[in-house]
Amino acid sequence: MQPADLEQALRPRLGEHLLGVEPFEGTAGKVRFDRSAAVATFRALHDELGFTHLAMIGGIDWVAHREVVYTLWSDAAKQYVFLSTTVPADDAHVESASGVWPSANWHEREAWEMVDITFDHHPDLRHLLMPDGYAFHPLLRSFKLHEPEELEVKVRHV
Amino acid sequence: MSEMWINMGPQHPMTHGLWNLRVRIEGELIRDVDPEMGYLHRGIEKISEDRHYNEVITLMDRCCYVAGLAWEHLYIRAAEQALHVDPPERAEYLRVLCDEFQRLGSHLMWYAAFVQDLGLMSPFLYGMRDRDLVLDLFQSYTGARMTYEYMRVGGVRNDLPPGFTASARKVLDWLSDRFREYDQLCLGSTIFRKRCDGLGVLKGPDAVHHGVTGPMLRSAGVKRDLRKDRPYAVYGQLDFDVAFADGADVTARYLVRMEEMRQSVRLLRQVLDWLDRHPGPVIAEHLPRWLGAPYAPIGLEGYLLKRNYPKGVGFSAVEEPHGEALAYVVNEGGEHPYRVKFRSPVFANLSAARTYLVGYHVADIPPIMGSVDVCVGEVDR
Repeated sequence: MQPADLEQALRPRLGEHLLGVEPFEGTAGKVRFDRSAAVATFRALHDELGFTHLAMIGGIDWVAHREVVYTLWSDAAKQYVFLSTTVPADDAHVESASGVWPSANWHEREAWEMVDITFDHHPDLRHLLMPDGYAFHPLLRSFKLHEPEELEVKVRHV
Repeated sequence: MSEMWINMGPQHPMTHGLWNLRVRIEGELIRDVDPEMGYLHRGIEKISEDRHYNEVITLMDRCCYVAGLAWEHLYIRAAEQALHVDPPERAEYLRVLCDEFQRLGSHLMWYAAFVQDLGLMSPFLYGMRDRDLVLDLFQSYTGARMTYEYMRVGGVRNDLPPGFTASARKVLDWLSDRFREYDQLCLGSTIFRKRCDGLGVLKGPDAVHHGVTGPMLRSAGVKRDLRKDRPYAVYGQLDFDVAFADGADVTARYLVRMEEMRQSVRLLRQVLDWLDRHPGPVIAEHLPRWLGAPYAPIGLEGYLLKRNYPKGVGFSAVEEPHGEALAYVVNEGGEHPYRVKFRSPVFANLSAARTYLVGYHVADIPPIMGSVDVCVGEVDR
């Protein structure tokens, strides 16, 4: 499957919410979509294109905005594909993928606590690796290492 | 009967590491489970953003402490793509050598720990004894038994010492005889069969749905192995079969891992033959100097080069002993990666715990969780 094939298959379903398909070495491509069509995009890739395995969800903090990258695998095409959507830093939320792939559950919990991206309608959005009540999102660029004094004050215990 | 939540962990013989399995029980029946992770979280992804590319390799060994070389391989492939570096062919073969010996080491460790959970003491000692031979081989060419720091962006640190392939073949001969003994000890034991057959069943479609990979997935009849489906390094040129079983229970996972070890031996023999016949460089020439030596003074020229170094994003997928491991490395120029993200196979296998534990008895938890092969280091990262 090539980026052009993906674009051809997804364009009728997503219309203008499909922002483009970029080539990415070693994968079928990187599909950029608008977050308002998140579930439609997930459904199209899962139901129509056979990407039944959600391997990874990662958040990247680009300071002004944040990017959510989904990595999917298709057993039929034997290929990976990336989905990517951007959310503004002051309004960082996107629809949860756990209704389509149950495996998204833990990945989204991790992305939420590490990069502060809220996943709407997630069944169980709570801390996974950090303790309950932890007030920081460590993988944000604004979280600097080497400032232990400040950390101790801010941790909130529940 | 009333229900209650009990904690199995963080200190419990079943956990093989620091994590907590919260179990809701009704009498002896498991009604719900909720794994609690994070006891071993060291923030490896965050620390990586503050390190030179080659310094992240140190963290990879700590990421999974029974399969450090497989994780080095995973990171190195992504970093090389992000930095536009190509390793020489001999380095790729050496990496496959590392990967497959690591698979043997990891599976032997799993075998030892798993059968001990079932109350069989002698297989534990046999498994640890044979794993030590693999560690001796690692020590002979990486200098370490656990934290290897062997791979580098652009290749590997050093070539094999003289006589390595001969001693490696001896170890492989020894091991392939042992696998038969393992099977006799386990599959021939009534206790083993009674505690494993038909437990922890996770059927193929459910496993795919919940992101389960590796031996757990292949034991459910799904023949997905990245070494075959998406060949990386030199796996495309090597001859081997994908181990799989149909039982989808604890015994099936045992069978798959045993067969994988036999296939690893088969792969390693081919790799050793190739390495004997093809000497050559093990690290790419003309590496940017700032990449090769993190703390060397690099001068104005080096800084200019670094500033103009092309940006890139690297992605790699490796069939680690536990399953599918992914790495995503973002290079925004500069000497540190901008963002590093890893996918741990055990993380996903554990997140599906509800599907293969609910409905069984509390006494079934040690064999079922043992068959998952939990490595907490890579779950928490």
